[in-house]
Amino acid sequence: MQHETTTNPMISVRGMSKLFGKFVALDRVDFDISRGEKIVVLGPSGSGKSTLIRTLNQIEPHDSGMLTIDGKLINEKTDPIQLRCMVGMVFQNYNLFPHLSVLENCILAPMRVRRMTRMEATALARRYLEQVGIPDQADKYPIQLSGGQQQRVAIARALCMQPEVMLFDEPTAALDPEAIVGVVGIMDELAEQGITTVCVTHEMAFSRRIADRIIFMDQGKIVEITPPETFFTSPKSERAQNFLNQMLRY
Amino acid sequence: MTSVLSYLRLPRRLRPVAALAVALTAAVLPGVARAEQVPSFVQDGTLTVCTNPTLPPMTFVKGQDVTHPEGFDIDVAQALATRWHARLSVITMDFTGLFPSLSAQRCGLVMSGIIRTPAREKSFDAVSYQDTALVVVGRKGTPSLSSMDELSGKDVAVESGTSYVTRLGVVNDALIAAGKPPMIIQQYPTEEQVVQQVLIGRVFAFVSQDVELFYRMRQLGDKLHVLITPNIPDYRHFAIYIRQNPEDRTLLQNAISALDSDGTLQTFRTKWSVTDQSTKGDAAQAGAGGMFDWGAFFSALTSMAFLHGALITLSVALISHFIAITISVPIAIVLNSPQKSLLKVALEGYVSLFRAAPTLLQLLFIWNAVPQFFPIFREQWFTPFLATILALSINESAYQVEINRAALSAVDPGQELGASALGLSRRDIYWRVIFPQAFRIALPPTINEFINLLKITSLASVISLQELLAVTQIQVARTFAFTEYYAAALIYYLVMVFFFLFLQKRVERRFSWSDRKKVVSNAA
Ligand SMILES: Nc1ncnc2c1ncn2[C@@H]1O[C@H](COP(=O)(O)OP(=O)(O)OP(=O)(O)O)[C@@H](O)[C@H]1O
Ligand SMILES: [Mg+2]
Repeated sequence: MQHETTTNPMISVRGMSKLFGKFVALDRVDFDISRGEKIVVLGPSGSGKSTLIRTLNQIEPHDSGMLTIDGKLINEKTDPIQLRCMVGMVFQNYNLFPHLSVLENCILAPMRVRRMTRMEATALARRYLEQVGIPDQADKYPIQLSGGQQQRVAIARALCMQPEVMLFDEPTAALDPEAIVGVVGIMDELAEQGITTVCVTHEMAFSRRIADRIIFMDQGKIVEITPPETFFTSPKSERAQNFLNQMLRY
Repeated sequence: MTSVLSYLRLPRRLRPVAALAVALTAAVLPGVARAEQVPSFVQDGTLTVCTNPTLPPMTFVKGQDVTHPEGFDIDVAQALATRWHARLSVITMDFTGLFPSLSAQRCGLVMSGIIRTPAREKSFDAVSYQDTALVVVGRKGTPSLSSMDELSGKDVAVESGTSYVTRLGVVNDALIAAGKPPMIIQQYPTEEQVVQQVLIGRVFAFVSQDVELFYRMRQLGDKLHVLITPNIPDYRHFAIYIRQNPEDRTLLQNAISALDSDGTLQTFRTKWSVTDQSTKGDAAQAGAGGMFDWGAFFSALTSMAFLHGALITLSVALISHFIAITISVPIAIVLNSPQKSLLKVALEGYVSLFRAAPTLLQLLFIWNAVPQFFPIFREQWFTPFLATILALSINESAYQVEINRAALSAVDPGQELGASALGLSRRDIYWRVIFPQAFRIALPPTINEFINLLKITSLASVISLQELLAVTQIQVARTFAFTEYYAAALIYYLVMVFFFLFLQKRVERRFSWSDRKKVVSNAA
């Protein structure tokens, strides 16, 4: 896919590090992501993938280096709420609010943060629930839904904030194969709509299909950033090679 | 003086002149028109008396209104107040709370059928107002004793905090010195419980004063009889106790002497049968050992006194728990946060201290000890009601902190992550996401705590709060209908507790989101 890498990138990261105590979870990472670009982050367990995408919406603030999103420098002085309006996130465990119905899950943030009226928020939520294929589950509680349905709600909930960037942290890891197909289908659709996406996933086929570039991480460092064709056929680094071999064994 | 002036019916403009003249006369001729000098413990025109109204005929509740004790002592107190042109205010409380309250300046004097003893006079001034004698009483049919030594090895009941305890100690020391087993002394907080122990045969005898016994005899007919009246010179007078002050003592002494010589005390003695009149005929009241008296039970159940007591119990518990929850939520949040801080250490200390200290001790401390350091707490506004709420709120908040902490940490940390990723503010994260879920988890243990608290309020009778159990005991002292009044109190507690359990069920039903089966069946 071809993208105009004109003007300023959507996300720009320079020498960004994150420590947990003395442990270096992110070690001086650098990359740029352009508007509308689809990035897939790969890497072995514990390599810092979750930490990386969590710094992008600052639910884990970074310790040093520079992070710019949509041209705005992000640091401890930034209002995190504004940032999170622009950057939506979907988690492996959905993190739906169990005490709220599906619809209420979707309209809570638009009403409280974006100050929409209940009517506006509801209309918006119904549209996105339709898009993720569960328009008739709006009045159920999360506990009544299957895992796949719950993840669709989580995606719809994030979309209701109409973000410019979507972060996905292993959205299909907790799902059975059938449900994975559904959720991946929705993410394909989102990709086509041109929203900037950063996705941590082990879905190789999906990565290959939609990723503009792959970020491969190991031990808190970015080992390589390459287009998927190159990465999956002839990765530059030995570590990526090993990683791919391991993945293919399953 | 106003009465003198109005009697003279002088024109208004002449009154100041007349007032001056009267004042001058009063100064020149002491004792003619002068008002009696008022002791310093009469403050703001009020004579405040502390009493434990469970000792008929000296001080007890005759009717249903537990805030209005009657009896010989109360009449004498009223006569004193009238003499000193003061209003009488009576505070009722447990016997053990009387002297601490006097020290804490909660009352000007203590009148509660209390024996004059040298030990008490070390800390307080005493003025005698009634002769009495110590009696050892047993059940009808028990052979009389010829000496106190015959009580050796026997169970004897006394009211706790009274001088009988010390006196029996002396007897016991003598018994031990003579190589005999001592009496086994059982102490009970109220006089009627002491009597009941003999009636039900748990103890051999009880120790009391003759005047009280005369009254009990009339209530209980021939169920009791005096085993021995030992000759103990020390134990011969009831006294009024005041804080030590020679001037006040003299003024009180003079007032009592005056009431004695003008026949007032004698009138009261006759009115309250303080002397032996052996009127066995009217033992009409329900006595121990009889059948359950349904009439007494229903009249207790429907009495204003019980209803009022229950309302006090309920409101103290509700208010205290509400305050406790309000305090405990922020404390729990701070304690659950991962950072270390000085505040956290202090709060941890607070929680441990108030979980460790017995509730009863905290109540007594706040009521009796704190006013010695902060005089503001002995003012009128600081009622037993407020003191109980203060003590129970603090105490309960310590327990509630633990419940809240557990509930907050039981909420999946992913909830906070999910909520903050959506851009919700800290406030919304707590109020819209975490609290509703924590509330669901905390509800059952919180209701449990509340039910506990409802029952713990009964401890506040020691600081004279007229809650349900205090009312019950005062009523029992009057009627001796133990079973009936206890049963009535039990019904009140049960109704309150079951109501809150019912409420819990109702509220839990609204949390159907937490239980898949329930949601499905509700939807069906
Ligand atoms: N809050 C934290 N405190 C301490 N260490 C943490 C914390 N979060 C992550 N780490 C550590 O940082 C490292 C990177 O964690 P991260 O979750 O980013 O890995 P990951 O690549 O997402 O792994 P996985 O594929 O298993 O999800 C791990 O070693 C982890 O133990
Ligand atoms: Mg991860």
